[in-house]
Amino acid sequence: MTSRFELHQENLKKIFNPKSVAIVGATKLKGTVPYDIVENILKADFNGPLYPVSPRERHIASVKAYKYVIDIEDPVDLAIIVFPSAVAHMALEQCGQKGIKSVIIISAGYREIGEKGIEREAQIKQIAEKYDISFIGPNCLGVINTDPTVNLDASFARQMPDPGNIGFLSQSGALCTAVLDYARAKHIGFSKFISFGNKADISEIDLMFYLMKDEQTKVILMYLEEVSDGKALMDAAREVIAQSGKPILIIKSGRTSEGASAAASHTGSLAGSDEICDAAFEQAGILRCDNIEEMFNKAMAFAYQPPPQSNRVAIITNAGGPGVLTTDAAVKEGLEIARFSEETTKLLKRHLPSTANIKNPVDVIGDARADRYNAALTAITNDDAVDGIFVILTPQSMTNIDEIAEEIVKVAKETDKPIYTSFMGEADVASGIDILLRNKIPHYILPESMCKAFKSDYWFHHKIKGHRFKPVKVEDVNKDTAAKVLEGAVQSGRTILEEDEAEIILGAYGLPVLKGGLAKSAEEAIEVAKEIGFPVAMKIMSDDIIHKFDTGGVILDVDSEEDVSAKYQEILDNVKEKAPDAQIRGIWVTQMAQKGEEVILGIKRDAAFGPVIMFGLGGIFVEIFKDVRFRVAPLGETGAREMIESIKGYKLLSGARGKNPADTDSLVDCIYRLSQLAVDFPEIKELDVNPIIVYDEGKGCAVVDAKIMF
Amino acid sequence: MEKHEVQSRVKQVVSRVLKMDESEIADEANFIFDLGADSMQSLELVAGFEEEFDIEMDQDKALEIQSIDGAVEFIEGYL
Repeated sequence: MTSRFELHQENLKKIFNPKSVAIVGATKLKGTVPYDIVENILKADFNGPLYPVSPRERHIASVKAYKYVIDIEDPVDLAIIVFPSAVAHMALEQCGQKGIKSVIIISAGYREIGEKGIEREAQIKQIAEKYDISFIGPNCLGVINTDPTVNLDASFARQMPDPGNIGFLSQSGALCTAVLDYARAKHIGFSKFISFGNKADISEIDLMFYLMKDEQTKVILMYLEEVSDGKALMDAAREVIAQSGKPILIIKSGRTSEGASAAASHTGSLAGSDEICDAAFEQAGILRCDNIEEMFNKAMAFAYQPPPQSNRVAIITNAGGPGVLTTDAAVKEGLEIARFSEETTKLLKRHLPSTANIKNPVDVIGDARADRYNAALTAITNDDAVDGIFVILTPQSMTNIDEIAEEIVKVAKETDKPIYTSFMGEADVASGIDILLRNKIPHYILPESMCKAFKSDYWFHHKIKGHRFKPVKVEDVNKDTAAKVLEGAVQSGRTILEEDEAEIILGAYGLPVLKGGLAKSAEEAIEVAKEIGFPVAMKIMSDDIIHKFDTGGVILDVDSEEDVSAKYQEILDNVKEKAPDAQIRGIWVTQMAQKGEEVILGIKRDAAFGPVIMFGLGGIFVEIFKDVRFRVAPLGETGAREMIESIKGYKLLSGARGKNPADTDSLVDCIYRLSQLAVDFPEIKELDVNPIIVYDEGKGCAVVDAKIMF
Repeated sequence: MEKHEVQSRVKQVVSRVLKMDESEIADEANFIFDLGADSMQSLELVAGFEEEFDIEMDQDKALEIQSIDGAVEFIEGYL
């Protein structure tokens, strides 16, 4: 049986390359969505017959109209439904009867309006399944395919964009029109332009896979408001990048995090949905952008220029200040300022005035005209030590801006090295910028944006593309033991496991837990202490007490039998005073951990992405600086080490200021074990191992406290 | 009032508002899908029914009525 995914891939072919199109619900009334779509299709010179379907009209825009879609004698590849949502299902039903498999539902009035709309959406999904129809929408702007052999503008956008190699997907229709306008001003073209609206049937994932195989598409851009299935999105992005090498850039709106403060664990409170989304996108190789400008800045780099072979860049400028600014920005982005060969230096010396700076950044001096730019560009593009060129221009009285732009275009056509430009200013440089953009030379208002775009391009081609994700599976775990403890707790209606039970689970997964035992009397506490050896730590165990220290429920360094007995009572007295209603399960008597570096590990379950692992340094680093990293589980082969090495305080673990390096191998092992636990037990909502103490290299680490919420 | 009389008067209103021959209006016809009513005409239909039958209908509920049959049943509830 064909899956819906396979069906969508097949039906999408006719959404983008239909031989005939019906507009169901068309009207004669100009300025309305149903009419404008008819007009846009005609205006774009669609390469096939168009069938307006209208209950009343016999002709629309001089094209014969039909009362019902089933009245059309010839086969129809694509139906665009523009009827109001109240009757759109009737139109879809008739499309099914007519044998149309590819549909775009433009109509609004579905889940975005509440309960009634949700019902309508379920109804159209049901009809689509009954007839093996795939539909884009509802509540969308439509679809555009600029391929000259198709010329389909099945949207109510104001203008069809130029052809190009950027595929754009958007959950917001209104944003689409803004993007089209923005792109038109910059001569940015598109291969496919898709507003997918409520994504009730065909989702962004289906569309990503379609664009993966689309020959006209080189870069995939997306605006996303909600991630419905984060895991599927990550898998799809990895697959698309691995198979096609096409970069995926996404603006995911809704960066504010709600509800994090209500979480019961450190991990829960630190892991807002946006931080998790950031981590997930990074893991999947998705380049997340904050806004349209950043997205297109980067998209131009990917779409227009060859990928850089390395991060060694050269800067050519006619002004010292902007040259320094660009150098600063490049270094900040981790780019290398290339050292020119002797040959290049000789050529620059020959062609530039004696006052010019012939070292990188090259200053061709304020009075430079096109010939000087050409000389510098030609010499530098031929230098093997350079793999990217930034050309800066500021408009002086003698600067022949347009000619310089033309020279850049000419050189760019003859080299396989990427050339990016920044003509600084606005009015005077406008015509030069226009020449650059028309000729697909990326241009940036700010040198900083230019460096970011180059870094993104370099990063994608050298660090993301070509890396296959291989999840790490930890086999030597005792899943049954962990399951038994969790099942027992679930059956007794509990939602929190304190240290005594959490450590059984962690121990079963091979994390280094300290020896300990639960005592229900002073005598039992003494017995446990004698068995594990003094000194010991004693901690109250109660599901009703989240912060044990605050209630006087923890006493450390207890080093004799008499002391154990006394402290047992002291803890009970403290708790009775501070939390009189708390149900006490006993006192956990455990080994005292030796001193080392405190770190925190955790699990959180995210609604969109599933299990997430957190790592950070303990103490003030987590409390104040929030110096933590997240990764969606399961982690890949380098995931755990990257988490550790990417925190700001990593130097504390790698041996700063004469300290011995910490046993990060042991931490890596703990992270993978925790990742396995998170994957194996979806019922674990949050888990804190806080702290886990890591010792010097080769000496391992120890779990000191842990808590599980489920 | 007999059902057939209600139906006949409903069709007269529809014919007047949508400017079409009564003979083109089937009993089960949907105002939008079959008869091509737009949103303004849907409002005019509600006003036309109120005037024809001298009743005051719940506007939101009335706008949910999509067919001749549905309108007949809905209006009968007010008579």
